[in-house]
Amino acid sequence: MRPVSRWTIYLTLLFALLCHLFPWEGRGIVLRPVFMFVVVLYWLLRSPHLCNVGTAWFAGLLVDLATGSLLGQHALSFTLAAFVGVSYQRRLVLFNAWHLTGYVLLLLMFERVLLLLLKLFAGNENPGWYFFLPIFTGMLLWQFMIFVFGTITRPKAK
Amino acid sequence: MLKGVHQKLEPQQSPAFFVRGASPFSRMMLYSALSIIMMAADARLHYLSTARQAFIGALHPLEMLANAPSNWVRDTKRYFTAHNQLVQENYLLKQQAFEHLVMLQRLSTIEAENVHLRSLLNGNIPIQPKAVLGEISHTGRDPFSNVVVVNRGSSHGIKPGQAVVDSKGVIGQVTRVFPFSCEVTLITDKQLSIPIQIERNQLRAIAFGEGDNTLDIPYLPANVDIRVGDKLVTSGIDGIYPAGLAVATVTKILQNPESPFAKIVSTPVAEVTNHLQLLLLELPDVKESVIKPEAAETKGREAKSPDAGAKEKDKKSHASR
Repeated sequence: MRPVSRWTIYLTLLFALLCHLFPWEGRGIVLRPVFMFVVVLYWLLRSPHLCNVGTAWFAGLLVDLATGSLLGQHALSFTLAAFVGVSYQRRLVLFNAWHLTGYVLLLLMFERVLLLLLKLFAGNENPGWYFFLPIFTGMLLWQFMIFVFGTITRPKAK
Repeated sequence: MLKGVHQKLEPQQSPAFFVRGASPFSRMMLYSALSIIMMAADARLHYLSTARQAFIGALHPLEMLANAPSNWVRDTKRYFTAHNQLVQENYLLKQQAFEHLVMLQRLSTIEAENVHLRSLLNGNIPIQPKAVLGEISHTGRDPFSNVVVVNRGSSHGIKPGQAVVDSKGVIGQVTRVFPFSCEVTLITDKQLSIPIQIERNQLRAIAFGEGDNTLDIPYLPANVDIRVGDKLVTSGIDGIYPAGLAVATVTKILQNPESPFAKIVSTPVAEVTNHLQLLLLELPDVKESVIKPEAAETKGREAKSPDAGAKEKDKKSHASR
């Protein structure tokens, strides 16, 4: 893994926000991955000294402000999911690619479930099963992040 | 084995094991508490709406950047519209305009007659609301709320609460206003209700959004005189939606023998998904219309009391506002 600079992280986050602001419509908006969370999660697992739970909180806050949802909803779900993600971060070197994929899938699910609970508590109606579709597009985005910025797991011993 | 693992790690990675600042747990607790406080402040106290407005204003250039690709696609599509399609459209529009002109001729005489009759009956002259033309810039970012964002904001004089219509009927109401855009909640949203009237028999009721592109008219007895195909228009008694705008048509009436109420499902006539332009109607001066009958009453009772004069002045100041 190449070392990353702080600015790479901020630029990718800005780009993720831009993708989020893109005028998605119809099927696209239902399938839209949670760009900010996937990007934050990637940097969180890769370089936790540059991107921590606080960054996740801030990213969630930006999403809240941009979507017009209750302020703090995304922030809280991002924070908690990021905490769970970072608490096993040191063991990631022992993971292989499949373990990592499963791990990220669980984290994305966790974020969605938390957000759903928060939304239901806040009095929103039940959005139905396709609330969970962004998990799968999020996994695709995760693979894309790995493809562009490199994998997090230990390189294969030769 | 362990030694091998260490050798594989990058020199930059190893400090990451130790240099972490505050522990993730304490950070998590801090930020969770912050989020919960913010949620409470936003949901119950509405302290943060100004902060949100300022942020959305600051975000506007970024939003323009994000909207740019789809705008380009739309513009190029518009540019390459076939010639005969335009000719056809032009022909249709001319025909429509002609029909409307004929209808308008009748309308103006009827309106004049109406004003005259109302003045004879000492009633209020209905207010003609002014309107601002807006364009939908995108649908709401939250896929599970019935919201569209329109490119007119507080800098264009938009205020929360304004009614929004398109050429077919009522779309909804402005709920949040930002400097350069505003959020319009559709009438199908669960949190919105609209006072309506059945066009056929003038029966008044209130329609509630169902959240799934239909409206519900609850609390009407099972034997109510509503049929499938009936048109619902605004009744105008709320002072926000002007009377007589088309809202929806009744599509289904479900009879449940166990319930004393009829379940009446109707679909809105406005086509939010089909076109971009819409009108934001100016809020009527509610204070004026509330004071007027009262002032007229006091005027009638005590012909030239100073009190009535004061009220007149008050009314004028409301009107000028």
